[in-house]
Amino acid sequence: MIDHRPIVKRTLLSALLIVVLSFGNKMAAQDGKALFDNNCASCHNVFKDMTGPALKGIEDRVKDKKLLHDWIRNNQKVLATGEPYFTKLYATWKSPMNVFPNITDPEIEAILKYIREVKPPVAAGPNSDNAPDGKMGESDNAIMYGVLTLILAVVAFVMLQVNSNLRKLADDKEGIPSGEPIPFYRNKTYITIFTLFLFVVAGFFFAKGAIGLGRMKNYQPEQPIFYSHKVHAGTNQINCLYCHGSAWEGKHATIPSVNVCMNCHLTINEYTGAPIFREDGTEVNGTAEIQKIYAAAGYDPKAKKYTGNTKPIEWIKIHSLPDHVYFNHSQHVRAGKVQCQTCHGEITAMHEVYQASELSMGWCVNCHRETKVDFNNDKGEGNKFYSIYEKYHSEIKAGKRDSVTVADIGGLECQKCHY
Amino acid sequence: MKKLSIIVVLVALVAWSCGDKRSPGRVYMPDMAYSRAVETYTSLDTLHAQGINYNALPVPGTIKRGELFPFPITQDKQGELVNYEQSKQVTNPLPQLSKAQVTEAERLYLINCGICHGKGLDGQGVLHKRSDGSDGPYGAAPANFVSNPTYVNMPAGQMMYSVTYGKGQMGSYASQLSTTQRWMVIQYIKAKQAEASGGTAAAATDTTAKVAADTTKK
Repeated sequence: MIDHRPIVKRTLLSALLIVVLSFGNKMAAQDGKALFDNNCASCHNVFKDMTGPALKGIEDRVKDKKLLHDWIRNNQKVLATGEPYFTKLYATWKSPMNVFPNITDPEIEAILKYIREVKPPVAAGPNSDNAPDGKMGESDNAIMYGVLTLILAVVAFVMLQVNSNLRKLADDKEGIPSGEPIPFYRNKTYITIFTLFLFVVAGFFFAKGAIGLGRMKNYQPEQPIFYSHKVHAGTNQINCLYCHGSAWEGKHATIPSVNVCMNCHLTINEYTGAPIFREDGTEVNGTAEIQKIYAAAGYDPKAKKYTGNTKPIEWIKIHSLPDHVYFNHSQHVRAGKVQCQTCHGEITAMHEVYQASELSMGWCVNCHRETKVDFNNDKGEGNKFYSIYEKYHSEIKAGKRDSVTVADIGGLECQKCHY
Repeated sequence: MKKLSIIVVLVALVAWSCGDKRSPGRVYMPDMAYSRAVETYTSLDTLHAQGINYNALPVPGTIKRGELFPFPITQDKQGELVNYEQSKQVTNPLPQLSKAQVTEAERLYLINCGICHGKGLDGQGVLHKRSDGSDGPYGAAPANFVSNPTYVNMPAGQMMYSVTYGKGQMGSYASQLSTTQRWMVIQYIKAKQAEASGGTAAAATDTTAKVAADTTKK
């Protein structure tokens, strides 16, 4: 009989060894990642140049292990010795590296191992969040009603013709003489109805056009850079006030200057998100659009420095009120606590921004009638500014009134907006 | 045939004038709709052509009412760290923030800093790390204020240097936050760090009180 026990024992042992080894490996790798993230990642990326160079293949470029360790621990010392490779490196990058006097050799090895083994990130696939973008289903009822009316009109016309023919037949049978039939285009009734119809339709379009003069709902100009609000404010969840901070501080929401773009785009130099399509079906090259920022900011991405050769980006203003209307953003956003989306629509779903609201006087007035202000209640919550409205406060206390609208505090006075 | 072409042209005109979303359309009285005064978005080129000098910037050396003095340290030359080191000596000139001011500082932090440095100040902002753990588009790791000792022990003045002039991949926030707002945000970060490192809010109070005392002494 063959004794299996030693084989089993050996297999078990080796399995255990493999498990322990691989576990240990994993630990070291994770350790390296944590160390890298904590100490290096602010300035270095493994695959991309940042403040410092990309680190992939660092061990091939610097073969001398001791030198590399010395450099990582205290680069100033290495520079002082005049070591040719690093002196040249420093001359090209010109940004001093932090010193890490307390980092140990095993820690450096763990970081180098992490750099050796980490895999490049995979670009987000086209299926990540690529719902077909188009404007929200504003189903056009007008067309449907128009077609229905036309069909009914044709039916009515046919019926009238049939009716007159039948009457003529009946009259012939009974021997009542009937005059020569008048063709419908010379029939006075038809002509009158047609004229009236034309008058109403033309009047409708004329009035609509006259009201629409100076209103710009759905205005969607083509901007100099394809800036997608959906990507920035939607996918990346950047607060509106990050770029349009003046909406909190003053009258205008203001377009950010290019340095605000460069806060992020110094690092983010390519677009890797879900593909974006224009309305005509062509795909937007996000990376090329980012290059346009660099051109405007006078930034040379290859040399990684500002050339000073700047040019303004001429964004096109979308939401305009006539000069005889006063509108203040901070009054609405800060005091009134109105969300940006209330007037500007679902900005986070728009690649290209269009004017979502009418911005007409009727639209303003309606909102002022319906919106309740953050009235200062008895507990002292709410906007303290409204404490001067003593009558309303006493009415609320007496139970005669439960809320105060903008209209109540003078939101419909002409000179609130026109002066 | 001639009649037909006239009709076609008319229809096309109507369609063009009301259907094009790329054009801003027309207004009734242009002189009432478009400002003749210099408004925020007016192109300054026309003014320059008339020999009027206007650049919408504050006069150099002036300070807005109620604003703190600007940060006293100037920006380093490229490749140097002299002023960056010196900025450690500058203390936060603001007294302890009131409750309402802390709320305001938190708002400013969440809008301007939180997208990278994270809501919890842990460097895991949504631009760098999505909530589902995948990588965001921002490749550089933002500073982790609560667990990385470099930033936990960083003096307020040095933080102010980085926020004012930018550091590494981070840009300058001087255009988005005023001097006071920057100091407010830094005090907020320092208070949060004190909270996270086991100390209570009282510890934060102590340090800021000391800072305030320092400024009065000078």
